[in-house]
Amino acid sequence: MDIGTISLVLMLGLLALLAIGMPLGFASAILAVLVLFMKFEPTFLVDPMSFGDGLLTGRPGAGPLNILAQKIYGLMTDYVLISVPLFIFMAALLERSGIAKDMYSSLNVWLNRTRGGIAIVTSIMAVIMAAMSGIIGGEVVLLGLIALPQMLRLGYNQNLAIGTICASGSLGTMIPPSIVLIIYGLITETSIKALFTAAFLPGLMLASFIIIYIIIRTQIHPDHAPLPEPVEGEPEGGEKWALFGAFIAVLACGFCSILFLRTLFFTVTGQNAVVEGVEPIFWGTPDYLPWFGGIVVVGLALIFFAFGRQRTATGWRMGKGLVAPIVVIGVVLGSIYGGITGITEAAGMGAISVLILAIMRGEASFELVWDSLMRTLKSTGTIIWVTIGAAALAGAYTIAGGPTYVANTIIGADLPAMGILLTMMLILLFMGAFMDWVGIVLLIIPVFLPIVQRMPIEEIGLIGELQPKYLAVWFGVLFCMNMQVSFLSPPFGPAAFYLKSVAPPHISLTDIFKGFLPFICIQLIALSVLIIWPPIIEILLP
Amino acid sequence: MSSPTSPQDEDLSTGSLVEWVVPLAFVGTSAWLVWHFPAFILEFYPPKGQSQFEQLAALYKRRDVTPDMAPLFGQFADAIDWIAAILAPILFAIGVLTVKRARMEFADWRPIDRLSVFWGRITMMLIVLLVSVMLYEVFVRYVLEAPTLWANELSLWLAGFVFLGAGLYAMQQRSHIRIFLLYDVCPRWLQRTFDTISTLLIVLFAFFLVYGGYGEALDKLWRWETFGTAFDPPIPATIKPIVLVIVCLVAAQAVINLISDWNAVPVVHTAADDIDEDELEKLRASVGDEGVGDIDVTRGSIQGNQSERK
Repeated sequence: MDIGTISLVLMLGLLALLAIGMPLGFASAILAVLVLFMKFEPTFLVDPMSFGDGLLTGRPGAGPLNILAQKIYGLMTDYVLISVPLFIFMAALLERSGIAKDMYSSLNVWLNRTRGGIAIVTSIMAVIMAAMSGIIGGEVVLLGLIALPQMLRLGYNQNLAIGTICASGSLGTMIPPSIVLIIYGLITETSIKALFTAAFLPGLMLASFIIIYIIIRTQIHPDHAPLPEPVEGEPEGGEKWALFGAFIAVLACGFCSILFLRTLFFTVTGQNAVVEGVEPIFWGTPDYLPWFGGIVVVGLALIFFAFGRQRTATGWRMGKGLVAPIVVIGVVLGSIYGGITGITEAAGMGAISVLILAIMRGEASFELVWDSLMRTLKSTGTIIWVTIGAAALAGAYTIAGGPTYVANTIIGADLPAMGILLTMMLILLFMGAFMDWVGIVLLIIPVFLPIVQRMPIEEIGLIGELQPKYLAVWFGVLFCMNMQVSFLSPPFGPAAFYLKSVAPPHISLTDIFKGFLPFICIQLIALSVLIIWPPIIEILLP
Repeated sequence: MSSPTSPQDEDLSTGSLVEWVVPLAFVGTSAWLVWHFPAFILEFYPPKGQSQFEQLAALYKRRDVTPDMAPLFGQFADAIDWIAAILAPILFAIGVLTVKRARMEFADWRPIDRLSVFWGRITMMLIVLLVSVMLYEVFVRYVLEAPTLWANELSLWLAGFVFLGAGLYAMQQRSHIRIFLLYDVCPRWLQRTFDTISTLLIVLFAFFLVYGGYGEALDKLWRWETFGTAFDPPIPATIKPIVLVIVCLVAAQAVINLISDWNAVPVVHTAADDIDEDELEKLRASVGDEGVGDIDVTRGSIQGNQSERK
């Protein structure tokens, strides 16, 4: 059977099976079988009695059907995939610990006299949480539990409150570490570290767009974000800045002492001796010693002479909720970028550091670990098994020559590159409204990416030119940004349902989606920045 | 831990000591069993060729944790191997009989579902082991500067079982990703037809997967093919066959689900289904009163709660 027919049957079959509510992974898996039959033994499909005669059914235990088992086995022994359950485990532990709540209180202390303060705090907190783990559902729920009641109590505009929580809470997939990017990297064989680095700036850009929007909106309509009544004896204005300075000094001192000791340890044990051709230990060579030592001394001097011990103690008490998140981010991102470990070990270290923090905070219990494990298990099974089905389907479809055929057809149609890209974006946005991101990344990206890779690279983007080696990375980030929109887009944007489950009953789903509208526009602006100026992703890449 | 809104009266507290100990004990014994499995291949179904036989025997000799122990009954397996072989199924049976449903788990369960749930418990212990192995490796590599040869491959091996086991558990929990757009608006008889078609296709997939793959899987198991590295775990020999076994179990579970859910009342599915009431309760507790405040934060009536079916 020719590949055009196979592709058509595949697409229709997928639509039909998804429509009847078949689990995504298994729908792909059975279609993989169907593709193999159409390719190698079409006679069986019209005449099932011929079972046992053809290329596939003729030799039980061998033949092209074995590709399915081989593909699954390959996925099961992929080292990077181990990071998925570990990151989920970490997020599950994190959600149940009081770290998020303390972080909220600490951030709020500094910004509660600012117009729109709680909304800004929510966004900042979402960014920090996004940098700790890469799951969105939990983040929206947590922000909804912590920040929504506060904003509503203060009389914030309901739409502003809702939109801020959901738009910020969805950032988890944009800011590394992100499970979406891990799976994307895995199936497209793109460097996950490069994806993480590339997604960082666009993610922060989107976050800052959201914060700028909040500031502008609350300045124009001060009644959208009333200020809380000042609390008796609360520090104000300049005093607060001094306290903040003192807190930062303590923080800098603490971290630099740790880095100083680390470098000292390496120097004493001789681990950081510069060897030709070997990457030197990140921030661990002896020439960093005076820097770290210097910062510690300056910090101590500031604490004792400029700010004073009393004020430093107050500042520390107000801000200490930020220490735990910074430690976790340091461990996870430090492990990845410090060259210490790979993504998988970084995920393991992150999970362990959260567990240790929970033990230190007195929140850890066997029950907490047990519940977190159960959640991890369920989410892992859900994500991995879609991956299994898609891997089987991709394997079968590739053997049948599918991706090349699709790419040739699209490229052969001689459409302008930007036109194709925009169409893809529309399809992704549309699909995102109905399908989970896992399904999209596994079923649509393997078809789209070869098309993008065949386009003339100078036609991609309007300003600046992308380096060819970063094309797949750029498309991954673009896809991630697309998913940001789909998390919010009506009628099925998951963020709305997550928030609904924790919002007061009088807030209806329609209200929630109404609150999203300006934020969807912000996301679309961020998306168009990525399309118009692709090299934005290269800024942090070597 | 009991919540006033709970429709069930049964005791739903899980995570007690016995629920940790039994799966861990099973993991321990079956690990011993798997590691010494070549002994049983040699005893019961030895490779036919002389050189293959000698290769496997040599492999077993290298691997045997207790090389000085005299073989019992036959030529290879010693007393501990036999004890592990007897104990593993017993522990599995105990585990299946003692496993309890947690509040956050799918409410509707029959005795047969215990198997998948206990398999899930085993998988949870494997995640604990996986994290421990990674912690140990990072500690010895970066602090003691004495990296192990085995940690990375052991993680890989464990993770294979975790991925597969998680899928079986997710099937029992009905948490595999589906699109309910059309499904939810259909009448119940049509939903049943859809479910039957899906289940049939899953079984069909399992059949063709096994039909095409059993040759290679059995061959690797029989020859006890290892990973070919320094630590050399038998990853192909174990994961290849277990892929087929688990996919068959998943298909069986799909059939069980079809039967169990035949009379279920239709519910409207939303993205919020995977946030369960119990979890929210605990989140609220950890967030504290201040976070929730005086606002009534109850779940809206629009969402069907999967655990409140029937």
